[in-house]
Amino acid sequence: MRPRRSILELFSTFLQFENDAARDWLSDARLRRSMQANLDCSAGFQGNQSEQIEPTETFWALYWHKLWQTKENPLASGHLAAYLQEVCYWSAQKLALNLSTRSSLADFFQIAIAKLDRVLAGFNPQHSSGLRSYASLAFSNVIKDTLRLRQEVDICTDWALLHKLSCKRFVESLQNFGFNATTIASYRLAWECFKLIHAPTDGKIRKLGKPDAATFAAIAQQYNRDRISTLDPSSPPTTPVLVEQWLISCGKAARSLLYPMLVSADASKSGQESGELLDDLEFTFQESSLMKVIAQEEEKNRDDQRSQLNAILLRSLVKLDLPSQRLLQLYYGQGLTQQDIAKQLDMKQYTVSRRLTSLRQGLLDTLGKWSQTTLHKSLDSNVVQTMSTILEDWLKVHYAHPDLPS
Amino acid sequence: MFSPASSMITDILQLHLAIPEASVERFWQQQPSPFSANGIRWTASLNQICLDALLPWIQEVHASKARVWKNPASLSSIWEVVNGSAIDFDHQRLVIIPTAAADFEELRVPQEWADLPSWAGDYYVSVYVNPDDQEIRVLGYVTHHMLKQRGQYDAYDRTYSLEADCLIGDFNVLWTARRLCADEVRRAEIAPLPALSLEQADSLIHRLADASILAPRLAVPFQQWGALLEHDGWRQRLYQRRLGLPEAWSVQQWLQTGISDLAQQLGWGTMDLQPNLARGANGAARVLVRQLTIAGKLYEFCVFQQSEEVWRFELQSASIGGLIPGGFKLRLLTEDLMPFENNEDIATSAIEQLYLEVCLSPGDALTWEIEPLPDSYEREILRF
Repeated sequence: MRPRRSILELFSTFLQFENDAARDWLSDARLRRSMQANLDCSAGFQGNQSEQIEPTETFWALYWHKLWQTKENPLASGHLAAYLQEVCYWSAQKLALNLSTRSSLADFFQIAIAKLDRVLAGFNPQHSSGLRSYASLAFSNVIKDTLRLRQEVDICTDWALLHKLSCKRFVESLQNFGFNATTIASYRLAWECFKLIHAPTDGKIRKLGKPDAATFAAIAQQYNRDRISTLDPSSPPTTPVLVEQWLISCGKAARSLLYPMLVSADASKSGQESGELLDDLEFTFQESSLMKVIAQEEEKNRDDQRSQLNAILLRSLVKLDLPSQRLLQLYYGQGLTQQDIAKQLDMKQYTVSRRLTSLRQGLLDTLGKWSQTTLHKSLDSNVVQTMSTILEDWLKVHYAHPDLPS
Repeated sequence: MFSPASSMITDILQLHLAIPEASVERFWQQQPSPFSANGIRWTASLNQICLDALLPWIQEVHASKARVWKNPASLSSIWEVVNGSAIDFDHQRLVIIPTAAADFEELRVPQEWADLPSWAGDYYVSVYVNPDDQEIRVLGYVTHHMLKQRGQYDAYDRTYSLEADCLIGDFNVLWTARRLCADEVRRAEIAPLPALSLEQADSLIHRLADASILAPRLAVPFQQWGALLEHDGWRQRLYQRRLGLPEAWSVQQWLQTGISDLAQQLGWGTMDLQPNLARGANGAARVLVRQLTIAGKLYEFCVFQQSEEVWRFELQSASIGGLIPGGFKLRLLTEDLMPFENNEDIATSAIEQLYLEVCLSPGDALTWEIEPLPDSYEREILRF
């Protein structure tokens, strides 16, 4: 994979995979035109300023992120998808090397980039250390979480799987499979009846067996009873045989949502929904947005709160005993999962979890008190949540580069 | 500097806790099943596991006085009809919504936990229960206020649902916020439900006692259902009818053949008096006694038949020479919570005993209440 050379390329090209390896960069014509137009406008805009600064890639990333947040430009997500290609690639590659699964690098890449919107939503330009580093962690988390779920689903019977789905995912998987709303409503009712009637009776669920004929009959009976009040009154009744078929379809749909067909990674979603009307918009350089990005950057540079925060957290870390420091180092520095750490330290996983939770609780309390007394800030759960995100980010950066000031 | 930010749920360390083995075993040993369907029993088991795994952790790390909301003996009457449990600590309530869903995509809170004034909590926590691996995971939480603000109401199953991204993923935030932002508004306003008459309650219980109605909570309008559920005595009766259990609250039966298992679990017992110590005019030899803890002290609530028609209700300290502090109130109400003449005794200053005497005919029913509320207080309907 050759590095991309220009800002134009960075925001308009996509990795092309061949035999599970990234082969080359493919340019998306629409994104390229949009980016070029923006670059031109920006040059003109810069030209009117007294001091001339060439906008960097970080600038453009924040700019597009801003437009993505405000939904001002439908191509923003495409530009960011292009920008984050390498980051996503490296996250996928690292995990593909470290984890022994039957999934390929391209598969991992696909899992991660598909959740781009979630990654972009989680990124907070004011607090995070940068879109690339944030996305790198977020992509790894997305992949790890999908693998965890696949692992769980792989060892479950179809009947257990039906108990292991949230309602949201259940409906999504049926939609994804192409069922219409009426069918989905029927299936959902059958699913609710199934869950009430057929369940484990010994405390474990993964090996839950197929319902027997009497149980299918009971499910069908329950369905027919609730059908009138829950569904369209004209919806037809079901039979035990039909219910069985429906539930099997639901299980299939749920599995297939976890193993989507690989689509070519260079197919960006960007152009899909845009029609002619959008053409005016996409080439307009959103001057006000860039100004905001610049203002934010400057604020960040001026911000000495970050260094104060740094000092506070470093002081707290130094006070911790060695085993605690080691635990944080393993989790944040080496990026091990709680499970890996448990194995390495010969502990139970929940012991690791309890200790890490308690260590972070101490640091979060410290941060909260500092903010209350130093910044005279009135706190609420939302603010504390943001502090938790900052703390998490800080710990990752700190332990990833222990020699550098965070 | 700080503004709300969403965070990816898996971005943040989740708390994992071990499921105590005894918890699972005890639960599944109960025979016959205390629930009317396998799926209901399964969900109940997830609730029991959450309580057994989470409560000791909360007590050890954050609130030593935390305890399960409602008496353990009556949790089945809740789980038979709705998913969820609650833990109380320092005048706050944590509602636990267990799930077996491995995808962590949403928190689904049954409306009862959000909209019943006496049920609602300060916090709602989503807990993934994985009995096969013997662990639970705390996935995130919201306050009641956030739940009502951000939650999507789904009329289909009467739940408020929140996508995982809308939760506070870091459980630590709850405890830090609790310490540092004591005056935060955690609860949204909740309108009280219209009261049910005795006739309405009877007819609802009669209708929903049919155990083939697997989701009674969805079978009648929410306001009626909610009012029925909030009354512990009625909920208890509904549960007993659904399971086909014998009447558990007949005082006459208690005196003749012994106290029902359920009432014993809730703290009722009998005390036999020697003839020369017998109380009341006709010398009741047997007194019903319920142990109570109020504001950290032990008390005894006694009920006995004073004469053919008159029953006497007493509250006194369990320690010899102990007094009832001023301000305590003992009150009797009809089953549907109506007051009647001379139904209340108030301690204006510290006194030895609060008592009430009431004329009752066979079949009459009463509930009792005490202020301040005893620990794990539940409304009971005593039938005479």
